[in-house]
Amino acid sequence: MTRSEADALKTAVREQADTVETITSNFTQYKHLDFLSDAIESKGKLAFRAPDLVKWEYVTPFSYSIIFKNNTLYINDDGNKSTLDLGGNKIFTQLNQLITASIRGDLFDEKQFDISYFKEDGDSVVHFAPKDAQFAEFINAFHLTFNTSGDVIEVKMIEPSGDYTQIVFSGRKTNTPLSDAVFMQ
Amino acid sequence: MRSLCSSLLALLFVGCASYPVKQGLQPFDPVPSEQVNAGKSIPATSRTSVASAPTEVINPYFSDISKDYVYKAKIAAFDTSFGGLLIIKKLGPAHHRIVFTTEMGNTIFDFTFKEDDFKVNRILRKMDRKILITLLKRDFKVLIEAHPEVLETFTDQKDIVRETNILSKKHYFYFADTRLHKIVRAGDGKEKVVFLFSEVKDGLAENVRILHKTIPLTITLKSI
Repeated sequence: MTRSEADALKTAVREQADTVETITSNFTQYKHLDFLSDAIESKGKLAFRAPDLVKWEYVTPFSYSIIFKNNTLYINDDGNKSTLDLGGNKIFTQLNQLITASIRGDLFDEKQFDISYFKEDGDSVVHFAPKDAQFAEFINAFHLTFNTSGDVIEVKMIEPSGDYTQIVFSGRKTNTPLSDAVFMQ
Repeated sequence: MRSLCSSLLALLFVGCASYPVKQGLQPFDPVPSEQVNAGKSIPATSRTSVASAPTEVINPYFSDISKDYVYKAKIAAFDTSFGGLLIIKKLGPAHHRIVFTTEMGNTIFDFTFKEDDFKVNRILRKMDRKILITLLKRDFKVLIEAHPEVLETFTDQKDIVRETNILSKKHYFYFADTRLHKIVRAGDGKEKVVFLFSEVKDGLAENVRILHKTIPLTITLKSI
């Protein structure tokens, strides 16, 4: 991707992100491990409300949801509820920011990431490699795929081993009202 | 005085007794003498069930090389509990990979068991403690060991119980109607860790529970 194409993408994504109040989407997650015959597939729903409320809800093949809210992680593991205070946990706080930013597409922080731009089948693919050594222990890079409208359609989280988790979004809806109840544990 | 001494000796004997003695397990004789005496023929299968050849699979649950074993896992340790996915894959005759990830896919630990070698490919720095790794290694080794050498065979009238040695510890494999449903790691004649296998379908144990008796640690696995 040329420098001007990259700049145009950044602008389009930022403008898009600024207009987004809520997002709901289905997702399919594929966990790729090089030694497995098949990727481990799970499906669920995502809800986001600006500025930073996020709910990931896995529906199949297991029931599990996490909500990022007020610096706390609310976990519901098949009915077993627990919370995790993220206040003192830099990695989780950063992960939350990254998840929020990646859902909106707005990850373009050059202080935090080494960023590179690619074109694939008409879509734009941007690679974000964390500069923070502590974070890089978990994730080597995020690869975000944007469609021509600047929406994130796929997130790939690549681990230092090369194994990766691919999350493909579908049925994305923006700015439909989401009540507080959606983000209750 | 003599009876007191005998009682004390008896107590001492029971106190130091092996797990089979404490559990009242009897040596298993697949050819009951009265049947032999009566001249009845015993099916070949019951004769061979007493001792296993070293290559005989006595734990089939993680032994199919063509399967990806994926479990939703819950680990309750002391007063905390956390979940994730436990992935077990057989890669060769005595070669397994075991990976634990969060639900979102981030790797917590990644181990390789090959022959007698054990390798930590990856573990979160926070969990990188020798005592924890040794404990997980012992538990997982029991899960994946398909054909440990059978030292002796017992029965408790209900189950056939096979005594084996895994990582220098005695383990007792309990079979009901040839189906493995429990493994007990014993020490000082007592249960130290109990492995339970239930809802077995097509050779797959849908539910596996690992219960530690000497520390508050339970690992629950549910096939997904």
